[in-house]
Amino acid sequence: MSRTITIDHVARVEGHGGITVVLDGDRVERVEFAIFEGIRLFEGLLRGRDVLEVPGIVSRICAICSHNHAITAVEALERALGVDPTPQTMLLRDLAFQGAAIESHALHAFVLALPDFVNHESVITLAGTHPEVVRLALNLKKLGNTIQEVTGGRAVHPVNYVVGGFGRLPSQEDLVRLRDLLERGIEDCQRAIEFLSGVPLPEFPREDLEFAALVPRDAFFFFGRTIRHSDGTAMPVEDYRRFTAERTVPHSHAKHSRWQGRPFMVGAQARLALNGDRIGGLARDAWERLRFDPRCGNVLANSIAQVIEIVFSVQRALAIVTRLLQEGVVPEPPVPFERKAGAGVAATEVPRGTLYHAYELDASGRVVAADVITPTAQNLAHAEGRMRTVVEGSVGLLDDATLKHRLEMVARAYDPCISCSVHVVRTGRT
Amino acid sequence: MKPRVGIFGLSGCWGEQIVLLNCEDELLDLLGAVDVVDFLGGSSRNDTTGPLDLALVEGSVGNAREEKVLRAIRDRTRVLVACGSCACFGGVAAQEGPLPFDDLAALVYGEMAGQYDLAPHRPLSAVVQVNAAIPGCPMEKKEFLRAIASLLNGDPPLTETTPVCHECRMRENGCLLIRQGIACLGAVTQSGCEARCPGHGVPCIGCRGPVEEANVESWRTILRDKGWNDHDLERRLRTFAAPVVKLERRGT
Repeated sequence: MSRTITIDHVARVEGHGGITVVLDGDRVERVEFAIFEGIRLFEGLLRGRDVLEVPGIVSRICAICSHNHAITAVEALERALGVDPTPQTMLLRDLAFQGAAIESHALHAFVLALPDFVNHESVITLAGTHPEVVRLALNLKKLGNTIQEVTGGRAVHPVNYVVGGFGRLPSQEDLVRLRDLLERGIEDCQRAIEFLSGVPLPEFPREDLEFAALVPRDAFFFFGRTIRHSDGTAMPVEDYRRFTAERTVPHSHAKHSRWQGRPFMVGAQARLALNGDRIGGLARDAWERLRFDPRCGNVLANSIAQVIEIVFSVQRALAIVTRLLQEGVVPEPPVPFERKAGAGVAATEVPRGTLYHAYELDASGRVVAADVITPTAQNLAHAEGRMRTVVEGSVGLLDDATLKHRLEMVARAYDPCISCSVHVVRTGRT
Repeated sequence: MKPRVGIFGLSGCWGEQIVLLNCEDELLDLLGAVDVVDFLGGSSRNDTTGPLDLALVEGSVGNAREEKVLRAIRDRTRVLVACGSCACFGGVAAQEGPLPFDDLAALVYGEMAGQYDLAPHRPLSAVVQVNAAIPGCPMEKKEFLRAIASLLNGDPPLTETTPVCHECRMRENGCLLIRQGIACLGAVTQSGCEARCPGHGVPCIGCRGPVEEANVESWRTILRDKGWNDHDLERRLRTFAAPVVKLERRGT
């Protein structure tokens, strides 16, 4: 007999999606993570816009990762125009990315996911029993936002990232203020780790998970030009279409990705599984203190991976700020450029995983084609697979309410940014 | 009894919900002053049908489902506040695009366009009565906190009536429009952002929506004289608030 279990609207995630499970007796017929987020057609709307207008528009794809979108877009446009950013620009963009990781991970790990780990329904109720933990989380989130305000001019939807560099460079005062906040951030991280070391990871089916992440370029953990899969395959980011192999899916406004027909996971857990050897210092201490194992096979560990990345990012941001204070910020204007026809691809590791931006410009520097593939879109097929495993393992054993809660926890584990995932549509000739 | 508050998002980027959560210093006090009973983004236990004193809604109306959701919110709340430029004006998703909406959807989805719940994006006021509006993309933290304080006191929030130029002048920024012939929208955009963009050396892109009595014709004239073509000017004017900025087509 066929029956359907539905979660109309997943809570504590960014954006709108639901989960549907169709059972025939004990057999799982279908598990769908249905995305019904409003479609906004970003890449279509960009056609005809001037290159300088692009970052301000694409940042509006998402408020949590707005800086990541703007910077990745700028990098792709720079490739299209043949512009080489200076080392200082790259360092400041790296600083922005550390700020974004701190802010986004603090939001997700503590405000959205942690309540499940300690049997709370929201950060609001959590604040009632653990006010100091919520205070820590808010401090870290604020730290991440303050870094992004300095690099980008505003926490949500930056104004300061332009092709070739920055509208305005940080001042000495800005950097001194950041250094002080970061030093306090280190202490907040340590307190957060102490608390989390006593919180058990919710038990979920352990499977062989497949991951993908950029190969870090030099000292930059979140920047690279090669995408790598845990099966060993690596290719230039320009081949991103072949790697992600996106297809539309009838039950979802967002597309699905598969490598060689198999879903893969991107995000913090993937990065630490593939590039964890680059994690040292306090972040490595946190890794050990939390007994983190990126290959444990449980996707719920993604939130723990995010906390380790917060520590990494606070450390890295402090190192960048210290260096800029020592060497002084060179008052260089953006690298000038000529508008010309061209195409460029850039990929970065943003909080939720690998982000691709690709643009084609005409001779007057207007967008002819645009393509953006977000980490959440890449994760959706993988999330459905894990949900299916949960259902298959629970049929007949759990009541519906508990099963639904567990399915939502799987959805939340990926830290889905659903607004990001749906605008994904390709236009033009890229 | 504390006011019952609901926080909702339609089609958007979550900007205003993030700005709310970004009020890190005030958040716990704010949450203590009200009873947040329906906030799907932040809580897994929500009263989705009970009456509300205040509904904060961000995002534009982009499909039939969202229109239904918005009407249901309107029916259960005393006060409905449009938060952010998508809710107030339609926002980026409603921008003047390269093609009419149906053609754009067909370009992007081909034959599948018909099977998605998809419609041109509209501000909340196109569907329901809105009691108060906090513009911005995203809304400003300070403006939001002042607005909430006013609303909790039973007063409508104050709105800015000056253009961004006013704040730009106060900061003693050089004028991008007049001096550099850049298509800065400050002259026709509502202030409240402290002229952040020109302060960073980049033009205002109009994300806070039109200032009242905006002299759009004068703005167009200045830029046409500097060599800008009408098509580009219209797209820039109508990036964040297309549904409420009157379109002028001069022959082309």
